[in-house]
Amino acid sequence: MSIDLLVQALLNGFGLAMVYVLVALGLTLIFSILEIINFAHGEFYMLGGYVTYYVYALFGLNYFATLGLAIVTVGLAGVVAERLIFHDLRGKALNAFIVSLGLLWVMQAGAQLAFGVLDKPVPSAFSGIVRMLGLVISLERLVVTVCAIVLIVGLYLFLRLSRPGRAMRAVAQDADVAALQGVNIEAVSALGFGVGCALAGGAGGLLAPLFAVSPAMGALPVVKAFIIIIVGGMGSLPGAVLGGLLLGGVEGLGTLFMGSAAVNILGFLMVIVVLLVRPRGLVGGA
Amino acid sequence: MAPSSSKAASPPPAARRGAGAPAAGVALVALAAATLPLVTRDSYYLDVATTILMNLTLTMSFRLQVSTGQINMAHISFMGIGAYASALLVTRVGLSFWATLWIGALVAAALAVPIGSVALRVSGPYYFLITFAFSEVVRLVFNNFLEGWFGGPSGLVGIPKPDRLLGLAFEGKLELYGLMAVLCVGVALAFVRLEYSRFGLTASAIRQADLLAETLGVDVFRYKLTTFVLGSFVAGLAGVFFAHFRQVLHSSDFGLEPMVLLVVFTVIGGTGSVWGPVVGTVLMTIAGELLRELHHYEILVFGAVLILTMLWAPEGLVALPATVRRLLRMRRSKDARAMGVGLAP
Repeated sequence: MSIDLLVQALLNGFGLAMVYVLVALGLTLIFSILEIINFAHGEFYMLGGYVTYYVYALFGLNYFATLGLAIVTVGLAGVVAERLIFHDLRGKALNAFIVSLGLLWVMQAGAQLAFGVLDKPVPSAFSGIVRMLGLVISLERLVVTVCAIVLIVGLYLFLRLSRPGRAMRAVAQDADVAALQGVNIEAVSALGFGVGCALAGGAGGLLAPLFAVSPAMGALPVVKAFIIIIVGGMGSLPGAVLGGLLLGGVEGLGTLFMGSAAVNILGFLMVIVVLLVRPRGLVGGA
Repeated sequence: MAPSSSKAASPPPAARRGAGAPAAGVALVALAAATLPLVTRDSYYLDVATTILMNLTLTMSFRLQVSTGQINMAHISFMGIGAYASALLVTRVGLSFWATLWIGALVAAALAVPIGSVALRVSGPYYFLITFAFSEVVRLVFNNFLEGWFGGPSGLVGIPKPDRLLGLAFEGKLELYGLMAVLCVGVALAFVRLEYSRFGLTASAIRQADLLAETLGVDVFRYKLTTFVLGSFVAGLAGVFFAHFRQVLHSSDFGLEPMVLLVVFTVIGGTGSVWGPVVGTVLMTIAGELLRELHHYEILVFGAVLILTMLWAPEGLVALPATVRRLLRMRRSKDARAMGVGLAP
């Protein structure tokens, strides 16, 4: 096997993994602020896919403008979900988890009723290939990966530099102490949940042209996001990026040796190994 | 592993007080199950009733684990392991159903020991995710690996019905219903006995404050693992029945959707009492049958009911009278705060 083939396989894995990192970052952000796992996170990704289908594929708006719209719309949906359902469940992991299972069904069935059960194709925004250093990359995948990286960096800067971002980090570290310093916990929770969902919505918009849009499309990315945050460490943003790179690398290399359906099992095996060796995840704190 | 039966035979006073009600409850379930064939022998109703009893064994064993604070998202997988194990042993090895009924359940329990040991190293949200990850592994294995054995994406077909026992043929719906009823009442008896034993009290102590229980000398890990293995055994038992009742197995029978359905049944009934799953399973299965024609609405309604239950009555339907009473009392004396609301404080 040539080195080129290996590098190519790794590159393929990393490209998609960056989008799954977006989904995982949203999940882990929500976890760090509200201490809950939102099992319905994939449904917000699905919502982003449908926004893209209706606005970009049907209405014909510019692809990047559509992406922004998907992020904003799904973010608002997240704020509504937090206000209506999750705001009282801070720290009640078990109850919140069960509620999110209910939300998963409501959103999935709602999408089936509203949008129909059939897959809806979204045309590619970019076609052609790019040749770089002897490697061949599809332009579309390149754009998707670059967009995902831009969003990840954007989130990092938002959390580092902006006032609401710093409030989020404060709440994640210690909600009570943050409240004593005058941080509005209610507002931060709503905003954090919204930002987390917005990231999922963006990911849905990015992958909509690659895969078709359907009510069940959220299942795969959310499973990958779970793997990423367990491996990286729950609540850790650098951990999510590291976990995503690891998963992408393992799956990319895995496709050289086994079928694409069988590759899915590698991630789960990774989870089991990590939990045995280091239950807190690679970057997880105490 | 479980505390010795001599301990279970002499429960502390708190448990003995309610000892009459549980026996009456099991008798009521047994009586209801026995009278159904006298009322109707319509194959549709028998089918629904059999499904209810099968779901009951699943939800009661699921609740046993919830009662120690675990939401085991892989519970349905142990049902699948029992089902596939029995189906293969009957069709490939030629064993009798009456042997594989127990072997299948034992296989599920045996696999639950290492899996539970890994999963129980973590708690809280990690536990939900690791068990979910495990259930996906099992589903993927059934769907994509060893296709010659598990049948791959098209499923495992041609599983025979249970063979004759004591001159009884298990060909018709009525006999299969009777078999499931016997299994279910047996499981219910065992669980109710367990609930009011020292074991049940300890489980409840672990749910309420596992750290405190640990400091009082309870080996929390061993208790959780015992409930995990015991629950998996019962799930395996239900799985074996399922395999020979439906005669077709598909990996999606053991995926996320049926698992969430178990959560819906158990949580809506209430996880604080052994009767919660009974109420939830019977009511929601019947509701599901009424909504059958409208599949999307069924899922929508179930999801909404699950959310509303968790937000407004997290202790479930069986605790509703007590919840209402407490709310009324709270209204009367403003400073009395609701204590202990929720599954796991």
